Amino acid sequence: MKLSRLIMLPVLALAMMAGPAAAEKLKIGFIYPSPVGDVGWAAELDTGRKAIEAHFGDKVETVFVENVPEGPDAQRIMNQMAATGAKMIMLGSFGYMNDGLRLAQQRPDMTFIHASGYKLADNFGNFQSRNYESSYVVGMAAGYVTKSDTVGVVAAYAIPEVVGMINTFTLGLQRTNPDATVKVVWLNSWFNPSKAQESARSLMAQNADVIYSLYQDTPSVVTVAEEEGVYVINTSSDMKAYAPKMLLASQIADWRSYFIEQVQATIDGNFKGTAFWGGMADKTVDVRSFSSDLTSDQQAELNKVMDSIRSGSFHPLTGPVVDQDGTERLAAGVSIADNDMLGINWLVKGVETRIPQ
Amino acid sequence: MLEVFVFIISGTLAASTPLIYAAMGELVCEKSGMLNLGIEGMMATGAAAGFVLVATTGSHSVGFFGGMICAMGLSLIYAILTVLLNANQVASGLATGILGLGVSSAIGKKYEGTTVTPLADLPLGPLADIPVLGESIFQLDAMVYLSILLVVAVWYVINRTKLGLLIRAIGEAPEYAHSQGLPVRLVRMCCVAFGGAMAGIGGAYLSTAYTPLWAEGMIAGRGWIVVALTVFGTWVVPRVAFGAYLFGVISLLELSIQAFGVNLPSQILSALPYVITILMLAAISRNVTFIRMNSPASLGQSFSP
Amino acid sequence: MGLAMGPAIFLLGGFMVKFTLEPRKEQSLLAPIVVTTLALLLTMLGGTILFMIYGVPPLKGLRAIFIEPLLSTYGIGEVLLKMAPLLLVAQGLAIGFRAGVWNIGAEGQLILGAIAASAVAIYFDGSTSIFLLPGMILAGMFAGIAWASIAAFLRTAFNANEILVTFMLTSVALQLLYYLVTGPMRDPMGFNFPQSITFGYHAMFPILIEGTRFNASIFMGIFATVGCWLFVKRSLVGYKLSVGGLAPRAAIYAGFSQKGAVWLALLIGGGAAGLAGVGEVSGPLGMLQRNVSPGYGYAAIIVAMLGGLNPIGIVFSSALMALIYVGGDFARLSVQLPNAVTGIFQGMLLTFYLGCSLLLTSRIRLKRSDAIASEGEA
Repeated sequence: MKLSRLIMLPVLALAMMAGPAAAEKLKIGFIYPSPVGDVGWAAELDTGRKAIEAHFGDKVETVFVENVPEGPDAQRIMNQMAATGAKMIMLGSFGYMNDGLRLAQQRPDMTFIHASGYKLADNFGNFQSRNYESSYVVGMAAGYVTKSDTVGVVAAYAIPEVVGMINTFTLGLQRTNPDATVKVVWLNSWFNPSKAQESARSLMAQNADVIYSLYQDTPSVVTVAEEEGVYVINTSSDMKAYAPKMLLASQIADWRSYFIEQVQATIDGNFKGTAFWGGMADKTVDVRSFSSDLTSDQQAELNKVMDSIRSGSFHPLTGPVVDQDGTERLAAGVSIADNDMLGINWLVKGVETRIPQ
Repeated sequence: MLEVFVFIISGTLAASTPLIYAAMGELVCEKSGMLNLGIEGMMATGAAAGFVLVATTGSHSVGFFGGMICAMGLSLIYAILTVLLNANQVASGLATGILGLGVSSAIGKKYEGTTVTPLADLPLGPLADIPVLGESIFQLDAMVYLSILLVVAVWYVINRTKLGLLIRAIGEAPEYAHSQGLPVRLVRMCCVAFGGAMAGIGGAYLSTAYTPLWAEGMIAGRGWIVVALTVFGTWVVPRVAFGAYLFGVISLLELSIQAFGVNLPSQILSALPYVITILMLAAISRNVTFIRMNSPASLGQSFSP
Repeated sequence: MGLAMGPAIFLLGGFMVKFTLEPRKEQSLLAPIVVTTLALLLTMLGGTILFMIYGVPPLKGLRAIFIEPLLSTYGIGEVLLKMAPLLLVAQGLAIGFRAGVWNIGAEGQLILGAIAASAVAIYFDGSTSIFLLPGMILAGMFAGIAWASIAAFLRTAFNANEILVTFMLTSVALQLLYYLVTGPMRDPMGFNFPQSITFGYHAMFPILIEGTRFNASIFMGIFATVGCWLFVKRSLVGYKLSVGGLAPRAAIYAGFSQKGAVWLALLIGGGAAGLAGVGEVSGPLGMLQRNVSPGYGYAAIIVAMLGGLNPIGIVFSSALMALIYVGGDFARLSVQLPNAVTGIFQGMLLTFYLGCSLLLTSRIRLKRSDAIASEGEA
């Protein structure tokens, strides 16, 4: 213990001296949980990486490793990055949290940003997106187009972020179509494109004529919807190219400004580990490629709602809201508090599938 | 409810197709006495190669052919090790399987996350328009129907032709066959190659028709299921085919069961196919005489002329 | 499609020249070492071709995989860390393989061991007792044994092929793990993420080399090696077990029960795998989660075979495999190689090993013509 502390001191000193005056490149490492395709969660993170390179040019050097499963291998990659000179690391998945934090504690000279976690340290920040805002909007759109009044959701795990999205989606759906209901298939995997497709088909067999592909990293659900002539909504990236006829809308995440901000802070030496929760207002979250099947009146209404979310005058998860068991969770006019949203583990009435216990 | 029924029928036919191809191939292979445990890797190679070829050439025929050739090449490595060099069949199968998985991952690397146009449904005109029946059975692609033909063809060859007799003789008593001047090693290698080729087609079907995408691990243990199917079907063609369809149904139920309002944890449903296979294996293997009567006597043993 | 061409050419050659394999009369002691070295060299050759396809300078690639991990303390620690479970499980599996009992389900037994140990850690969370870790170790070992005994029972009572049963059970074990981390064993404060609480200090194996993750779980592997060596070389049961595998009839003459052999072989393998599972959750993982093992159960099969099913050989083959694992990871970062490379190298190594070992232990005899040969054999 003591020996390593002794060794750390000169390293720290060096790092500090090298700080603001440094003309040396800032080496940044990126770790993705899935392969970087053209679209998807990892692709959007990588778009952020490329934006960093474009913005900072010679002042930074980026490296990335994709398809890293959570666990000891991720730890090894992180440590390897740190050992080969990376001074900042972007951790692209919840499961890297504990290992990342450990490394952050061992290396106070490095900075970290971590996707969708909840632990913080001086040099360890995390970032999330208020996808529940855009989920409400696409839910409204789904309500406009569904004729069978059944919407299917293909989701990975019942983590709060996903649950929150399903909730606001359902509320939006019921706003434009009070009789519609939602069915969910829990994949129990972050990356299983085959099973995602099979799940989409099984939902279609249960009469869903709109499919919501929630956090699926590949366009597998989107393509099968296009093939079957069923409307589809997806997250993370614009997938119009994969479903030109049947894409209802894409919820997108844009991390570029946040990433650039954090890199700038690291370069300037005033990085502070904070919890960033971007939404529609700061353009981290948006909805794109609305289907032309929506009427101009419907589109105008959607735009109006989006504006009200951006201005802060409307919060998608506002009471009166009742959960699946009939208990009132939010009184009329009361919006859910941020902290409660972070840990939400109940589904609203109208969702027919329960959270697996 | 009818929709779900249609989904299950047509879904099963499609989902079982890769199993049918690979199982027929492994059956022929095992009939000649060769136990190839590397089917998973061969299916993966076929899937990756098939996908890449369809993505680059746009032709599904090229995709299936290429997938078949690549998987066959891999099975030939296994054949060289076991038939020519007399290596232990279990070890060799595992080795080539792991190699195949790695190769498939390497081939498919650049294409991960992309998609291709799936194999189109065979236009069966008026047949496809029959209510219920049409939707369940007649709206599938050509490879599904070909797989059924394959089952019939394999049954016929194995049981009604001289070639089939030759394969079975070599599988039962290779030493005796050799002393009669029969080309034991040649036949075995051909059977292994056939098994590999079929596994390749099965894998390519998965990646270019069933779920048109490539992802590492997409074979998801089907190669091992195929090996189990030959035992489950006691090396009899119709039974093996039945087992394949049975397995397909069970794996689909996991997703459809929610429609019937059953609220089981999804993991139980995911494990169900394997549990049922284990129970079936136990039930069938129990009768030792029965097994001995039906399994190729020399299965898994090396032969040295 | 070089994959098809290569073997095809080899085959044509093999068929044009008729040959037969004859076992050599003497087997030199050097033979296993020569075989492994030859296999390694061939693998590196294959790897070179692979690198060239990927546009990586071959020497740089080989260096990244085989040399780089050994250049830093952290790297050596990682290799030793990876070696621990491989050594342990391979020793257990080798005992079975020598007896002709093919346990392909070590991965599942490992998972059960991890689950059991985690259950103990979770139940006694906060305890500072020195019996906590030993308790977890015992729990893990018995869980692995129990899981393997299902296959043993089905084999001995129902004659069900243990290759298939053990493999199927691995899939069941995975589903069990997923169910537990998504539900009953999930961290209640963990926002519904599928993982358990992080284990306390007393539930973890102590780190052996400062600055690395190399921990005391290696001792389980060392005990296993010594134990297996004694068992095989010095004990009557071990001897019978090997003989049983080599010549079942002879074994029956010697009064050794086939069923007993199956039980013993599977239970030893299962116990070893279960212990490795404890090593993972009480080591680098520090919790129970969906990804417990990156395929150690399967890699251990390769290690066991590469080591010639010999306890000492396995020590070396597990070190080599660990090196390839860690080197492969390092290569992803330093030369941007895809992670498939590790699997290809491992597959190649075993394939070449199997091919080479046959060539070295048998002599190829060319047949002049069929007529003369069959006359000679008649």
